[in-house]
Amino acid sequence: MSSITRRTFTQGALAGSGLAMGGLMAPGMIRPAVAADRLMVVQWGAQWIDVSKQLLTKYQQTSDTQVAWELHSGGAAAVVAKIKATWPNTQYNVLSVWDPVFRSLMAEDWLVPVDENIVTNLKTIPDQFIQKNAAGQKMTIPLSTAGAFWGYREDLLPGGFESIEDLLKPEFKGKLCVPYPINLTGLFIVSCAIQRGGDEKNAEPGWEFVKELAKAGQIGEICTSNSEYINAMATGQYSVGFWNNGGWFATAKNFPVKIMNRMPDNKGFLYNEGFCVLKGAPEKAAFEFANFFADPANNEIYNMNLGSGPTQPTAKTNPKLDGWYYAPDELGKHAYFADFAYLGKVMNEWNARWEKEIVPLVRG
Amino acid sequence: MTKRLADALFGSVYYLFLASFIGFSAIPVVVAIVLSFDARSFIGPFPPTAFSLQWYEKFLADDYYYQGLATSLLVSAIATVASTVLGALAALGLDRAGFRGRKVLQAILLSPLVVPNVVLGFGILMFASRLGIIDGMPRLIMGHVLITFPYVMRTTAASLVGIRSSYYEAALSLGARPWKALLQITLPLARTGIVAGAIFAFVTSFDDVGISLFLSDAFTFTLPVAILAQMRANLDLTIAALSVIFILATILIIVLLDRLAGLDAAVGRGVYGR
Amino acid sequence: MKRPGLTASMLWPALIVILPLLFGPLLVLLHESLKPHIAGRVGGDATSALTLENYALLAGPEYAQYFLDTFRIGLISTVLALMLGYPMAHFIVRRASPIMRRILIASLIGTLFLSLIVRIYAISMTFGSLGPLAGFSRLLGIAPTSPSVAELMVVLGLLNTTMPLVALTLIGTIQNINPRLEDAALSLGAPHWKTFVQITLAMSVPGILSAGIIGYAFCISNLVVPMLVGRGFVLFVSNLIYFRFSEVANFPSGAALSIVMMVISLGIFYGLLHLVRTQWQEAGK
Repeated sequence: MSSITRRTFTQGALAGSGLAMGGLMAPGMIRPAVAADRLMVVQWGAQWIDVSKQLLTKYQQTSDTQVAWELHSGGAAAVVAKIKATWPNTQYNVLSVWDPVFRSLMAEDWLVPVDENIVTNLKTIPDQFIQKNAAGQKMTIPLSTAGAFWGYREDLLPGGFESIEDLLKPEFKGKLCVPYPINLTGLFIVSCAIQRGGDEKNAEPGWEFVKELAKAGQIGEICTSNSEYINAMATGQYSVGFWNNGGWFATAKNFPVKIMNRMPDNKGFLYNEGFCVLKGAPEKAAFEFANFFADPANNEIYNMNLGSGPTQPTAKTNPKLDGWYYAPDELGKHAYFADFAYLGKVMNEWNARWEKEIVPLVRG
Repeated sequence: MTKRLADALFGSVYYLFLASFIGFSAIPVVVAIVLSFDARSFIGPFPPTAFSLQWYEKFLADDYYYQGLATSLLVSAIATVASTVLGALAALGLDRAGFRGRKVLQAILLSPLVVPNVVLGFGILMFASRLGIIDGMPRLIMGHVLITFPYVMRTTAASLVGIRSSYYEAALSLGARPWKALLQITLPLARTGIVAGAIFAFVTSFDDVGISLFLSDAFTFTLPVAILAQMRANLDLTIAALSVIFILATILIIVLLDRLAGLDAAVGRGVYGR
Repeated sequence: MKRPGLTASMLWPALIVILPLLFGPLLVLLHESLKPHIAGRVGGDATSALTLENYALLAGPEYAQYFLDTFRIGLISTVLALMLGYPMAHFIVRRASPIMRRILIASLIGTLFLSLIVRIYAISMTFGSLGPLAGFSRLLGIAPTSPSVAELMVVLGLLNTTMPLVALTLIGTIQNINPRLEDAALSLGAPHWKTFVQITLAMSVPGILSAGIIGYAFCISNLVVPMLVGRGFVLFVSNLIYFRFSEVANFPSGAALSIVMMVISLGIFYGLLHLVRTQWQEAGK
């Protein structure tokens, strides 16, 4: 449906409902949803949008593509619900999301396979970072390697802890800050499951561990966004947490932080963030834009302030992130790549279970 | 003696409650003002150790809020005008109506007050999409008219309770035309309720999050949605600077309203007004 | 001497606009709530047969507890708002000088203009663990590390919003009480407190209840306050609905929860309203 016919329709619908606002729908009030060279890109706020705007300025020196940004207003999955409600009429063209959301977008068949003739920079990005559809086509343009880890504020907890089993001790009462299970797509529960010999598909031991933590009153706050986590950790009320590299990186700017990603009995989670292009987008403009961000030099700039690692092997990592990620030979021992396709399927059930079993225990 | 003691006790409780009211309302505002000048880059213990204008600079440099503000003002103005006209008319109509089911109709029209905004917001999003309306502005207006309408209807109806319909009947018996009697007798008497309703409507619309969160789109988002998105993306003290600017704007609006309409009009003087 | 034509022409605009805007979305939600949800997919499945399963999954004491918490915390906040709002309204009507009256009314309306998010944020900075009034919870016998602090913050947040709303509504009520009744009682030697309780307060009961009902409706449907200061475990039904719609994309379950919440809220609202109307019919005039 073109924007002209839709506008006429909207006018008709409003006039028909007696709202008689035809006059208000004058040209300019409703902007065209998709212009030929205009892209609507959804990005995270804070450091993400800052660096993206910076790179865009550079991009627009050689391209006349117009870009409008929208910020994720919750978990990245929230945008999925918004798209669903209006699909196939979506205003979004390029989404900046992470692995689990890539999976659910692909499950809905909303993405365009990457045109490798345009996104030439995809060649140098390691193949295992790229999500593929059932036909084996490459669907995503990974820009960052990111992770979710346990960690603590060294100034508040000089001795640290050896294993997350220690967190059941009385001195950690009310000191833990953890994600709502749907944030980080359940990785917190998976981590607890690994601790007790399980994994995402055998999560029961994890739930038992979370229940023990909740019952003992160890969980002080349950966060649903990065900013909540960053601020909670800044209050000094909580010393220990489980969160993504973005939250830890922001905390580490103001406080000494120790990332616990090499515990003998647990793992650190790794995943990718990046761009994907939705069906209905001006594909050439969208892929050219994405290709610019995937360029090794730009990829380095992009990741420098996000607390994440670049996906281009030649790009440098922020030196402050020393030890946050793994050397290739450490991957097998310490890193865990969760099955996000599976986690996506159980998220709804886990959310209900969290509401029914964990929240009442935390409230005490 | 006991009478005086009881009265003294009563007086102190009365003023204690009064003071608590003012305290609970004012202290957070003061705290926000102080923190907006905090020189630290994170949210630390109160009071700040050093002061700067960094959050104001950051706020002024970000056009995200301006876009939200422009949308909010437009949506709230349209919604207020629409629901004031519709709500006042409906209240006047219901007041005069004699048919059975009048109470039920009134209850139905007031029900958006009770249904959680989240429910209405998501419902309208899906409803609008089935109608083919996918632009933010018409969706937002649909939602905001729906949630502000009951306020006007309710306050107008409340102000009509004190007005004897005999005034209107008297005007008619003196030969006035029904429309004229309505315009010249009933409407001025109901003015208090209508003005109060319009103010509530504007404020409710301007402040709404639950509905706008769902109905905003990429190009059209309201100020509270912009604030919430920023808060959830990166909660820094820009929002405190924004609060202070909000407070200043509010004072300006209030003074203007007072000059233009007389704020007393919003609450009225009552039947026994001095 | 009613003019049905005139009455109808005043009612029709509202009916034509509001009824579709109200019932359209609710019917869509009702339909959605009957669709099965396929794990990992977005929204309901349009191809399968309709089912009541989404409602069945919500049955159980755990979810009842969320409803009870919502209604309980909402009630506490509303009662506190009435307790603090009534003296304020009374002061403005009966005791304040004209200038004071203007200032207070302006401030009350002013606080309503101040964004809710901004106010909640200010409250969390004030009473939060780093705020100047962090000790307030101790005053009430709640340890700062106790989970109840989150509940206190939610109450304070709701109170801060409901208080001015309630006070403004009550001004109208108190203004319509004849001051001569109070003067008469006082001149006959009745103590101030007795006059206040037996005349002013007693005559305001319908107004108090109606302000309370509006405040209560506002509190129990709130999303933002628990979202921002509930620490992730003081959750209202609105929050559960929001999670379903926007985070797990289980629209059918969110719609089912919406329908249940709506039915209960409407029941409470109109039940109370009916009670007020029948019990205090005379006083309400």
